[in-house]
Amino acid sequence: MEVAGDLRTAREMGLVACRQCMRVSPRGAETCPRCGGALASRDETSLQKVWAWWLLGLACYVPANLYPMLETRTLVSTQSDTIVGGAIDLAHHGAYGVAAIILIASVAIPMAKFIALAGLALGVRYGPQLSEARRHLLYEVVEYIGRWSMIDVFVVAILSSLVQLQALASITPGRASLFFALSVIFTMLSARSFDSRLIWDSDSGAQEHSPAPGQPQEDLTA
Amino acid sequence: MTSDTQNPPTPPVTRGRANKTISLVWIVPLVALLAVLFIAFRAYSDRGPLIEISFENAAGVKADSTELRYRDVRVGLVEDVTFAEGLDRVIISVRVDKEVAPFIDERATFWVVRPQVSAQGVSGLSTVLSGVYIEGFWDTDAGTPQTRFEGLKDAPLERHGQEGLQLSFRASGRASLMEDTPILYRGVTVGRVGKPFISEDGASAEAPAVIFEPHDRLISTSTRFWDASGFSFSLGPGGAALDFSSVASLVSGGVTFETMVSGGEPISPGATFVVYPEESAARSSLFAGDDSEVLRLSVVFAENVTGLSAGASVELNGLAIGEVTSINGLIDPEQFGDNRVHLVATLAIRPARLGLAADAGQGEALTYLEDRVATGLRARLASASILTGGLKIELVDVPDAPPEELRESEQGTLYLPTTDSDISDVTATAQGVFERINALPIEEVMVSATELFNSARGLIESDDLRAVPENLNGLLGDARQVISSDEVQALPEQLAGLIEELDRTVESFNEAAIMARLGEAAESATEAATGVSDAVEGVPELVEQLNTVAARAGEVEIQQLADELTELVRSADALIASDDTRALPGKLNDALAELSAVLAELREGGVVDNAVSALDSASEAADTIAEAGRDLPRLIEQARAVLSRANATLEGYQAENGLGRDARSALIEVQKAAKAVASLARAIERNPNSLLTGR
Repeated sequence: MEVAGDLRTAREMGLVACRQCMRVSPRGAETCPRCGGALASRDETSLQKVWAWWLLGLACYVPANLYPMLETRTLVSTQSDTIVGGAIDLAHHGAYGVAAIILIASVAIPMAKFIALAGLALGVRYGPQLSEARRHLLYEVVEYIGRWSMIDVFVVAILSSLVQLQALASITPGRASLFFALSVIFTMLSARSFDSRLIWDSDSGAQEHSPAPGQPQEDLTA
Repeated sequence: MTSDTQNPPTPPVTRGRANKTISLVWIVPLVALLAVLFIAFRAYSDRGPLIEISFENAAGVKADSTELRYRDVRVGLVEDVTFAEGLDRVIISVRVDKEVAPFIDERATFWVVRPQVSAQGVSGLSTVLSGVYIEGFWDTDAGTPQTRFEGLKDAPLERHGQEGLQLSFRASGRASLMEDTPILYRGVTVGRVGKPFISEDGASAEAPAVIFEPHDRLISTSTRFWDASGFSFSLGPGGAALDFSSVASLVSGGVTFETMVSGGEPISPGATFVVYPEESAARSSLFAGDDSEVLRLSVVFAENVTGLSAGASVELNGLAIGEVTSINGLIDPEQFGDNRVHLVATLAIRPARLGLAADAGQGEALTYLEDRVATGLRARLASASILTGGLKIELVDVPDAPPEELRESEQGTLYLPTTDSDISDVTATAQGVFERINALPIEEVMVSATELFNSARGLIESDDLRAVPENLNGLLGDARQVISSDEVQALPEQLAGLIEELDRTVESFNEAAIMARLGEAAESATEAATGVSDAVEGVPELVEQLNTVAARAGEVEIQQLADELTELVRSADALIASDDTRALPGKLNDALAELSAVLAELREGGVVDNAVSALDSASEAADTIAEAGRDLPRLIEQARAVLSRANATLEGYQAENGLGRDARSALIEVQKAAKAVASLARAIERNPNSLLTGR
C-alpha cells in the first residue's frame, strides 16, 4: 500500500471521479462525460444508506436465526432446525467440520460483517480507531466476502430441490432461509452503499485538519 | 499532465458527514417496518383463540406440529403441551382458526386419533406416518365459545359420518356389549355400539349406541334389540338347528333389532334400550312391559315361604307394577331381634305402571309410595297360581294398620313394610277334596244300584206283581158290589131311626134305673110314636112294634149293646150329617118297615150281635178307605214319579229286547192300575159317600 501521505485524492486535486467508469472530471461537472453517470465528489447520503440497509439486514438476521432453516420430513419424523441448532446437531453427531463451516458461514461472517460495516460507518462519523489502510482493507474484505454468505441459502436451495422423495423424505426450506437471504442481500447493499472515499476524508479529517496541498497524483484509488 | 492538472484550484473541501439531506433509501426500512407492522397486526387480528383441552396423556401430541382437525381439515395447531395443576392431567393448548372458533361451544368434543386395530378393522392408519392429530367435533350452530374442554379418552360415537340417533344400551342377562360392534338390521349395518361401561349401581353393562341416519326411523318404542353374536344350537323333535346370523357377527359380535309390533312411538335421543341375549327373550319382553327405569325396593317377610321366586309379579290392586328381581336370606339380629333367616325379596317397580305421569321417574314413584305407605299400604305374600303353588307379592291397603314408613337401611336399601300373608293352601285343599272324592263308596253304590235295578226288574216281571192290579181291581169291584148291595145301602136309613130311638132309650137308661125307667121309655116312645103317627100313616102299627121292641129290649143285654151303639153312633154321625140322612124322614116309613123286619129277626136272637159286629167292621173299613182315599193322591203321584223314572230307565233298553218289552208291558199294566186307582181316588175324593152309597 502506498503511504497515505504521498497520496492525493481527486477531491484534493479539484477533480471528481466517476464511480462507474473511473473517469476523472473537473470539479463542478454534474454528469460524467463518458458514461453519463451522475458525478459527486462524495456521496453525501452514503452513511444514511449504509445504516438503513444495515438495520434492515440486522432485522432480517434475527428471524433468520430464530426460525428453522431446514425442514426435514422423513417417513417417521419431521425435523426442523435453526441454523445454530442444526450446527449443534451436526456437532453432536461428530461432524465438527461441517458444523464449523456452517457456523462460520452463517453466523460468524454475517456477524463480522455487521460489526465491520458499523465500525466503518462509525469511524467515518466519529473518527476512526484504525488506520486508513486497514479500514480500506476491511471494506474490501467485507465487500468481497458478502456474497459468500449466500452459501447457506444455496445449500438449502440445492437440498430442497434434490431431496424430494415424496412420502419417504423431503426437505423444504424453512422460513429462516428467506430471512437469511434477505439479510445477506441487505448487508451487501449496505456494504455497497458505503462510499469508501469517506475513509480518506475521515482519515484526513482526523489526522490532518487542513488538507495539505497535495501533489498531482495520477493514480487515484477511487 | 498539464499545469492545470498540476495545480488545480483547490476546491472547498466539505466533510462527507456534513450532509443535511435525507436519503430516499430510508423508505426501504420504513416500508419494511410498515410491512412488518402490518403483517404483525394481520397475524394478531387473524389469530384465533387459544383453547385448552385436558387429556389423560398426550401420547404422540407435539407442540407446533400436532393439528386439530375438523372433518379432516386442519383448523388449529397445538401450541403447547403442559401439565395441569397436580400433574394429573395434560393440558394441550390449541390455537384454533378464527373462522371455526365461534362454533367451538360447550358441546364440542375432542379426542386424539391414533391408529387402532380391532376385530372390526384398522382405523387411523394414516396417523402411523403422519403422527397423531386431535379430532374435534361440534355442531354447525355457533354457540358461546369456550376455552376449556375435557378431552375424550376414545373416539365418541357421535362424529362425522356417524350422525344419527343416539341411544343407550343396557345388556340383559348373557347379552354382551362390545365396543364398535355393528348394529345390524336385516344384515345391513345401520348403527354402531360405543364403548361399554359398568353402570353406576354395578348391576348391568351399558353402552352408548348410534343408529345412523336415515335408519333411525326404524326405531320406535316397540323396538327390541338382541345380541346377534355367537350362535345357538338346539336339538328338538324337529331335528338339530344351528343358528347364527353371520360369520362376521360370529367373530366380531353384533346387535340386531326388530320392531315387533306396530304402533310404537318415536324415540327421543338418549333413550335406553335393553339388549336381550336372544330373539325369543326380546320378543317375550315386549309383553312383559318396558324396562324403563325402575324403583328398587326390598321387602322382608317374617315367614319363610317357598314358592316365591325371581320373576314373580308385584301387584297393586291386581295390576302388575313390577316384579321380584331377587330373593335372598338375611340374618340381622340388630334389625329383627333374632338369628333367624328372613326372606328378603328385592322388587323392581316400574313407575310408569303406577299410573303416574308418563315422565315420572323414581322420585315421583317413591313419593307416591311413601304417601301410600303412610295410609296403610303394605306388602304381603299371596298365591299366584293354584296349580304350582307359586307366590306373588301384593301391595294392599290394610285399614287401621299400625303406622309405618318406608325404611331406608344404611346401604340405601328401601324396605317396604309388610302385613300378614294371604296364602290359601290351595294345594292342600284341592288334595283334601280329591281324597274325599276318592273315599266315596262309589263302587258299592253302583253295585247296590245294579242290584236294585235287578230286583226291581225281577219284581216288575214277577207274575205276582202283574196279578196285583187285577186282584186290586177285583177287590175293588167286590168292595163296590158290597157297598152297592141293597142291604148295605139300606142300612144307614134303617139304622138312623133305630139309633135315634136307641139313643133316647140309652139316655133314659142313664137318667134312671134302666129297668125301672123302661116303662117311661116305652111311654116316651109311645109319645113319639104318637107324634109320628100324626104325620105319617101307619104309625100306630109302628108304635106297637116299638112297644114290642121296648118290651123285648128289657130282655137283651142292654149295657153291651149300648156301648157298641155309642161306638156306632160316632161313626154314623158323619153319615147322618149328609144329605141322604136328611132325606131320612122321607124314607122313614120304609126304614121302619125294614126295622120291624130286622127287629123281628132280632127277636129270633143272635142277629143283633152279628149286625153290630158287621157294622163295626164296616165302620172301620169305611174309615180306612177314607184314609186311604186321602193318601191315594200322594201315593199315586209317587207311583207316577217312580213309574216315569222306571220308564225312562227302561227306555234305555232296546225296545226289541225281550226284557224291555216285558218290562214295558208290565209297566203299562202298572200304569193302568195306577190310573184306575187314581180315578177311584178322585171319585172318592169328589164324593166320599159313593163308597157307601155306590153312586
